[in-house]
Amino acid sequence: MKILDEMSPYEVLEVSPIASSEEIERAYRHLLDAYESDSVALYSLFGEKDASVIRERIERAYRVLVDPDLREKYDSRSGMDSAPAEPIASGSQAASKYPEEEMMAFEEELIHEGSECNGSLLRRARISAGFELEEISEVTKVSVGTLRHIEADNYADLPATVYVRGFVTGYAQTIGLNPELVVPGYVELVEKARADQGRSRFLGRR
Amino acid sequence: MIAVGAGKGGVGKTFVATNLSVALSRLGHRVVAVDTDLEGANLHTCLGVANPQLSLADFVSGREEDLRKLLLDTDESNLQIIAATHAHLGDMQPSQSRRLRLIRELRRLPTDYVVIDLGAGSHSAVLDYFLMADHSLLVMVPQPTSVENAYTFLRAAFYRKLQTEASSHEMRNLVSTSMDPRNELGIRTPLELIREIEGLGPVEQKLIREIVQGFRPRIMINEVRSAENVKLGFAVVSVCRKFFGIEADYLGYVNHEDEARMAVTSRKSLIGYHERSDAAGYVQRIAAKLIRLSDDSRGSVRGRREKAQRGQTTGGSVWTSG
Repeated sequence: MKILDEMSPYEVLEVSPIASSEEIERAYRHLLDAYESDSVALYSLFGEKDASVIRERIERAYRVLVDPDLREKYDSRSGMDSAPAEPIASGSQAASKYPEEEMMAFEEELIHEGSECNGSLLRRARISAGFELEEISEVTKVSVGTLRHIEADNYADLPATVYVRGFVTGYAQTIGLNPELVVPGYVELVEKARADQGRSRFLGRR
Repeated sequence: MIAVGAGKGGVGKTFVATNLSVALSRLGHRVVAVDTDLEGANLHTCLGVANPQLSLADFVSGREEDLRKLLLDTDESNLQIIAATHAHLGDMQPSQSRRLRLIRELRRLPTDYVVIDLGAGSHSAVLDYFLMADHSLLVMVPQPTSVENAYTFLRAAFYRKLQTEASSHEMRNLVSTSMDPRNELGIRTPLELIREIEGLGPVEQKLIREIVQGFRPRIMINEVRSAENVKLGFAVVSVCRKFFGIEADYLGYVNHEDEARMAVTSRKSLIGYHERSDAAGYVQRIAAKLIRLSDDSRGSVRGRREKAQRGQTTGGSVWTSG
């Protein structure tokens, strides 16, 4: 992996030399995903051995940049602090740009188009942000089954509204969607469906 | 001008070209969709134009010199197409000079956007259309075969660009040698080739930088079913950057949609068939993004186009507007 050995840690992580620690974390997570061993993007180019070398280099670059002392040492040694940005301008377009842009598009869609905030929209937002249900479940402690019901709009299988509110809030926060924009709309749908159902049950009994 | 390529058949080039065209036209722009796939023309069917009597084949064979006479109306008010049916079975691809003329004529069409549906494979005609577009879209699906062929296509396109824009014999020879993956110089990747060319001298160094900057394929993932699939786009962009020395953009993705098939069966675009479907929404968003990108770069594109035309008159190449 001569190519990677010639790169600075910034180039390896595809971040700019002035990247914040958050940007570095995000870029690192994205790259780990990109270069995992069964990645479709790699299979025709690299064998398992090369892929593990690439991951090791990413790991190494991350360890330098995530540690403020090591990062500063690297910067001063390589003259980064005196002449930043220019030499690796190509890497400054962080790999993590897309999901945020997508999230903003979803929020715009909700505000401007007045579209329904249903489970399918949540699901699309989640997939855009690159989260699996299991990951959300781990963070929110809501079971994967319940999360599936939320996405499938199976209101009948969801618990009381007060819980639903909490679950959807956690869901939105985890994927980086503003809860204020989605939670009221979703809860409204649940309540409306339940009211309709209650009414028909009531009428049915008579 | 937007070119939609893939390097592999069956990944949704025509689906993307069809629906992008419809989306752009419904956003109020005049659009001409052009099928250049003379060996497997489909675009007209996806847009509900049955059995076109005029097609690009008439231009390629020289029977018709005026592209405007080949324009066919569709059900969409702002959208016309040039089909690719009834091509000469023995001689499908236009000659180099015919190709240049076609590209010039496409640029002269009285329209806001030209969307080109490319054929499969890496034929030089396909690569030329891909390279001359303002937006070169590369469609792939989350399958190893598709990604593999997409890389092959990207390399072929990049090498073609290097060859047509090379300033010296030395550089051209270097590119030709590297096209053979088992070349004796040991140049295996585009990045290694870039390094070699830089080593030729300051003139080449400057030129190769310009060429690399002018090559910006836009990646699109089709038939997405999971978050994993969405991430593929980032992985491909990262691989291009790290190991090919090529900056690609992740333009967006379109999720898998059963209705896409039904739309084709009823000879309609997905947007025409079910505008509120998820996949139609994704394509519409990508169309909006392309409009934004075009507006952003309109000034600089014009500059490059003028430069390209100047290059042409002095015997240079017209491929500068990649």
